[in-house]
Amino acid sequence: MKVLKRVYMALILILLYAPIATLIVLSFNSSRSRAKWGGFTLTWYRALFQNEDIMNAFYTTLMIALIAALLATLIGTLAAVGIQSMRQRTRTIFMGVTNIPMLNSEIVMGVSLMLLFIIGRIELGFGTILIAHITFNIPYVILSVMPKLRQTERSVYEAALDLGATPFYAFRKTILSDIMPGIVSGFFLAFTMSLDDFVVTYFTKGPGVDTLSTKIYSEVRKGIKPEIYSLSTLLFLMIFLLLIAVNMASVKESKKEIEKNAAHLAKYGRKRIFTRRFVFGRVLPGVLCAALAVGWFSSRTGKTFAAQNQVVVYNWGEYIDPDVIDIFEEETGIRVIYEEFETNEIMYPKIKSGAVAYDCVCPSDYMIQKMIDNDLLAKLDWDKIPNIKNIGDMYMKTSEQFDPGNLYSVPYCWGTIGILYNKKMVSEPVDSWKILWDSRYKDSILMQDSVRDAFAVALKYLGYSANSTNIQELTEAQQLLMTQKPLVQAYVVDQVRDKMIGNEAALGVIYSGEAIYTQKENPDLEYVVPKEGSNVWIDSWVVPKNAKHKENAEKFLNFLCRPDIALKNFEYITYSTPNEAARELIEDPAIRNSQIAFPDESVLERCETYSYLGSDVEEIYNRLWNGVKSS
Amino acid sequence: MKNKLIDLVGITKSFDDVTVLDDLNLYIRENEFLTLLGPSGCGKTTTLRIIGGFEQPDSGKVLFGGADITALPPNRRQLNTVFQRYALFPHMTIEENIAFGLKIRKKSQTYIRDKIRYALKLVNLEGYETRLPSALSGGQQQRVAIARAIVNEPKVLLLDEPLGALDLKLRQDMQYELMRLKNELGITFVYVTHDQEEALTMSDTIVVMNQGYIQQIGTPEDIYNEPQNAFVADFIGDSNILDGIMIEDRLVEILGTKFACVDTGFGKMRPVDVVLRPEDLELVPPEKGIVKGRVTNLIFKGVHYEMEVMVNGTALIVHGTRMAAVGDEVGIFVDPFNIQIMNKPESEDEEAVSVEE
Repeated sequence: MKVLKRVYMALILILLYAPIATLIVLSFNSSRSRAKWGGFTLTWYRALFQNEDIMNAFYTTLMIALIAALLATLIGTLAAVGIQSMRQRTRTIFMGVTNIPMLNSEIVMGVSLMLLFIIGRIELGFGTILIAHITFNIPYVILSVMPKLRQTERSVYEAALDLGATPFYAFRKTILSDIMPGIVSGFFLAFTMSLDDFVVTYFTKGPGVDTLSTKIYSEVRKGIKPEIYSLSTLLFLMIFLLLIAVNMASVKESKKEIEKNAAHLAKYGRKRIFTRRFVFGRVLPGVLCAALAVGWFSSRTGKTFAAQNQVVVYNWGEYIDPDVIDIFEEETGIRVIYEEFETNEIMYPKIKSGAVAYDCVCPSDYMIQKMIDNDLLAKLDWDKIPNIKNIGDMYMKTSEQFDPGNLYSVPYCWGTIGILYNKKMVSEPVDSWKILWDSRYKDSILMQDSVRDAFAVALKYLGYSANSTNIQELTEAQQLLMTQKPLVQAYVVDQVRDKMIGNEAALGVIYSGEAIYTQKENPDLEYVVPKEGSNVWIDSWVVPKNAKHKENAEKFLNFLCRPDIALKNFEYITYSTPNEAARELIEDPAIRNSQIAFPDESVLERCETYSYLGSDVEEIYNRLWNGVKSS
Repeated sequence: MKNKLIDLVGITKSFDDVTVLDDLNLYIRENEFLTLLGPSGCGKTTTLRIIGGFEQPDSGKVLFGGADITALPPNRRQLNTVFQRYALFPHMTIEENIAFGLKIRKKSQTYIRDKIRYALKLVNLEGYETRLPSALSGGQQQRVAIARAIVNEPKVLLLDEPLGALDLKLRQDMQYELMRLKNELGITFVYVTHDQEEALTMSDTIVVMNQGYIQQIGTPEDIYNEPQNAFVADFIGDSNILDGIMIEDRLVEILGTKFACVDTGFGKMRPVDVVLRPEDLELVPPEKGIVKGRVTNLIFKGVHYEMEVMVNGTALIVHGTRMAAVGDEVGIFVDPFNIQIMNKPESEDEEAVSVEE
């Protein structure tokens, strides 16, 4: 029995701490591989401390945690005192009300705070993170002060008044010293919560401000580097130590210690120096203040660029070569504040609300049309962007589909949708969408699980526009997709690539950018844009109307259109570049002349971009698509 | 007669629509030991807290030496309080506790040291200077609380059931200590208790309160011997309270029998309450008693026996040093001087309530 108990305990501990132990071990692993132990090293820690971005995030985190915890402790303690003096029923109601935010899901809290800031037209940044942290910290402080407050006796406070103390002095001497352990543990709790918060911070932060957790998140999205292991280890240790401190602080000053102090005082006529009270009353605040000062100082010196001379860039994740930003900063002295978004739909409300003044944004074609329609974009001064001449005419022409007159957008990356097929499985030449309805390839066809892409295939095959709003045409397309459904192996998104590489299917609808990569992995694959035409997409740079640094933005866009820079980005992103001059610089002729990456003008001419159809039409598309999927 | 030190004029106070004090008028003389006595909820503690400044009356005034101090906060009143549960500062040593008020008054170090020594000597706690309150017994803590109050040399010491939490022996010791202190210091004491014995032992004046009204004010002897209504009679000591009819001056009918008494002025054939103290009832042979009865219960109480005697269907409590066995027929005799006649209560507010204690 006893052995069983031990084993059970051990199992639980392993379950709880195995992930963290793994992380810590990996942070000392000199091999980059996760699977292999390459010996002990501190390299990653060294690299971490040399990474200016991470160190800045570290100090931001510390400062936010410290200031938020201090203010939340102050507000929370006062609130607790107020709640305590209420009548029983009101008190119960208030405690319930203050507890709800704590139980509320963090993401709801984050989103609602963001909405509040946006509605209040408060610019997202350091201040909004701070306010958000104070908000979610207050209930924790109240919760940790309240039980101590309940234990205090009102008569002790009254006794102090009775002996001539003013209400404030009496409060300080009796109630405050009684609830001090609660306040201190409330402070540490708030500090810890603030330190490791991700969700709320993520929604309330602005460009250029990162805490450790949001920094780790954005780094991890780009692939896990060993520095992140060491950073996470340090974060874990910091919180671990803080929790120990919280527990220490909540232990009351022992009787023995007080009596020892008094005896010492009587004997030597002065107080003992190293008491717990001394540590928590003097040393800890001192250390925290020092950390704050260092953080403030280093964040000052870290910014060698004047605050005004900057450009705030909002781009897709992994959509620029980081070196490009460094080169730009070096050449121009303009600091780039760089933020990333996942989808057009996440980006759009941020621009629309004006909560953050971005200078350059890189949305897709249909979204640019929507932004133009809503008067969110500034017209570009082409005299300031002379390098626009490097962009091929046919791309400028295609852009007119969503940006008539080429007033607002600078093309950045583009691609088509087509059919990827395996030459070993499909012997006939592929040049039409028709083959996707060929019953010989039953269960070997992969379709995109995306309403616009699926309908584009069907509409184009039928000879209609991919942006059709004609209900009859759309119903026809739906019927066509339904007849295709029995032949389709799966409706997927990213898996088209992997399944085609793995020879799991013969035909798949895919983006041209992915096609180049798949061909490298599996030479049997071929990509074609069917003769009926298809969709072409273009992601282009635009400047929002509320941009604060429009001139810097235009400098940045001009810089991106420079052939050498566009080439660097092409090599990094691997999506087709509209920059003809950059294409000339590509060394590998196989890529330079690739029909996938740079198809003939005739291909582009038979393709169209998606346009913004309006929510009513979007709903029809969705309804019809659901009809297909549930048929 | 000494001067009035504190004068409560027309004090009314209610909490959450429950009236605790209703138009209370009371004065306290200099150097008096005044006790507010009554069951819990009678308003005695509220009265004390209004004097101390911890509660504000809804209407009425508090005068201190003739000056209106109704709005004065507690820290600016010349009186100190000893709380029911000591209310010592738990993080401070005994001497720090005692020095608290003196430090606020910015007294010199030597003055404070002397005062601490003097006060601890007064309450017999020399040598406890550096202890913490939690290291002391209840009685010791209470004495520290008293020392902490008296070092400030207040004109009045307010004590809110200070002995309530102590055991019987300690309580009696502390009663003597308090009387000694009062005599040595010449301070006015306002003392709150629900313990009639405590009140009778220590007080110069007892104020019996019930449901926010003063029932009777008087010396301990007055209150005990001449209760003015059935509530006071019932609350102070054990009593037989009987319905009676005042037939004429000096003659009252109780238990279906006419008794001679000494009271006059009630009119003729008036219903009255009659108090017979158990120790004033004398058991005699049946033929010698004014009334006859049969013993139905017997308890030995140490100093005396307590017997229940059934007389014409009414149970009487009788205290006596001689025992009568259960079932014995006895006669009861009572001296006319020991028959206490009281008017029936006229209003509901005056109505005696059954006492919980």
